[in-house]
Amino acid sequence: MTPEKIDQLFDYVQERCLWQFFSRAWDREENIDGILKAAAALLTGQPPALETPMDRLFYADAKVMVSDLRERFPWIEDSGAAQIRDLLHGLKDKLTDFTITRSLNHELNHTLY
Amino acid sequence: MPMVLLQCDKDIPEREKHIYLKVDGEDSRDYLPVANASTIPGTLSERGCAFCGAKLVIGGVLKDTIQMIHGPIGCAYDTWHTKRYPSDNGHFQMKYVWSTDMKESHIVFGGEKRLEKSMHEAFDEMPEIKRMIVYTTCPTALIGDDIKAVAKKVMEARPDVDIFTCECPGFAGVSQSKGHHVLNIGWVNEKVGTVEPEITSKYTMNFIGDYNIQGDSELLQQYWDKLGIQVIAHFTGNANYDDLRSMHRAQLNVVNCARSAGYIANELKKKYGIPRLDIDSWGFNYMAEGIRKISAFFGIEEKGEALIAEEYAKWKPKLDWYKERLRGTKMAIWTGGPRLWHWTKSVEDDLGVQVVAMSSKFGHQEDFEKVIARGQAGTYYIDDGNELEFFEIIDLVKPDVIFTGPRVGELVKKLHIPYVNGHAYHNGPYMGFEGFVNLARDMYNAIYNPLLKLAATDPRGALTTPAKEAAE
Ligand code: SF4
Repeated sequence: MTPEKIDQLFDYVQERCLWQFFSRAWDREENIDGILKAAAALLTGQPPALETPMDRLFYADAKVMVSDLRERFPWIEDSGAAQIRDLLHGLKDKLTDFTITRSLNHELNHTLY
Repeated sequence: MPMVLLQCDKDIPEREKHIYLKVDGEDSRDYLPVANASTIPGTLSERGCAFCGAKLVIGGVLKDTIQMIHGPIGCAYDTWHTKRYPSDNGHFQMKYVWSTDMKESHIVFGGEKRLEKSMHEAFDEMPEIKRMIVYTTCPTALIGDDIKAVAKKVMEARPDVDIFTCECPGFAGVSQSKGHHVLNIGWVNEKVGTVEPEITSKYTMNFIGDYNIQGDSELLQQYWDKLGIQVIAHFTGNANYDDLRSMHRAQLNVVNCARSAGYIANELKKKYGIPRLDIDSWGFNYMAEGIRKISAFFGIEEKGEALIAEEYAKWKPKLDWYKERLRGTKMAIWTGGPRLWHWTKSVEDDLGVQVVAMSSKFGHQEDFEKVIARGQAGTYYIDDGNELEFFEIIDLVKPDVIFTGPRVGELVKKLHIPYVNGHAYHNGPYMGFEGFVNLARDMYNAIYNPLLKLAATDPRGALTTPAKEAAE
């Protein structure tokens, strides 16, 4: 795992993914967790969870993301399952830092929508 | 120093917090413009009022509903004709406007009786229409007219009608944004779940935050029909009032305009467990991505791919024709908020256009997070921009074309910079594949229009009658 690779994944998500910018901190957290989990399954050849409507939502977002990542970053195909999990873990930390922990958005923690 | 104090703002230094110049290596954890905050005294804001956000943007789109505006006549006209959202029933909502036309004596003695009379009159005049939204405005809110009580009385007298009340006077918030919020939350609390839809497909969704501007919803509806997805409610493009009462039965909420309608999607998720999927419906690349995600959710990927292939075959060569001619164009986007982030990357990727300045009237910080993540370095990101700032930004970035509303559009036309209506479009629809070709065509026609050069030529030369400025 290299920080450069995490940066590449992060830059992709920043540019393409609206789910990281939902209205409230808990929605953002739920999306980041759910979509990266589904992406990990897809990238490591595991069957993604499809039981609940939220599972299917995360799968839909993750599917597009994974196909883009494969196209943009061919090195991802050569990464082993453990490495993929590390990369996505690093991506999750960085996304959480940017969009939740250190976000300057004042509305993130309002209790109401 | 990425927050920028423009020269014209030297006497209102608070404006520095609202204008950001993106620099490589920085991000929205370091700087994020203040947004959705009160307009600073001394700045001539381009914003609309909170009532306008509820009526003009969302409620007024409905095609089978009387929009009773309880206020002076000006509130009605200001929120009637500037948006062009047609409907497939002969554009009922664009042909008529309803107002209680409050005058001084009604303000002094109260307007409830006048409202009740106007509501009956409207229903009597249009007996085929059984649905109504009643809005308060500044004066009727200030005198405390109880529009809910009046609506209840009218519904008791007319059991076949249904009325929704929206209490969001112009002063209720800092901009249109408050009106979006009040209507969204009021609707989900009072009306969703009161009608059961007829389910005609295995796949059902609501399409939220698309107002059928020049036919956007009708164009996208062709895609959903091809995919076999039943749209229970369009919120609110080309929609009927009762469609929106059935929103609780959809399996998925697809959100285009997260600013004006993200609230209802969030509430539907919280109350009914319906997932929220945000997509961009402008641009080839984005539209294809949105269709892929929706198809993946329903497990109909093959149909989705076939639709995308068909649309690309039909429209991509036309888009590319314009791309060749638009590459390198410098564009400014001065609209409400979300179109900044919907468009900046789609015009860049699909048309080779560079967005050099963006201004939002009512975006929140969430919108700035999105647009700064997607937009370029060297671009200005402005909250609640005013006229003098626009002049200065134009000098700084020299845009070739500006997408904005008719008011600012008139201003930039005088500078002989081409303007395209970024709110209501020049010749839309702009959504979907076909729509983005329309957008490209309007941009191309604006930039290459020879009239601009003619308009900039002053044949009077030295004979021009001098006009004195007040200060001289
Ligand atoms: S600000 Fe108040 S009075 Fe003016 S148009 Fe809006 S609601 Fe009417």
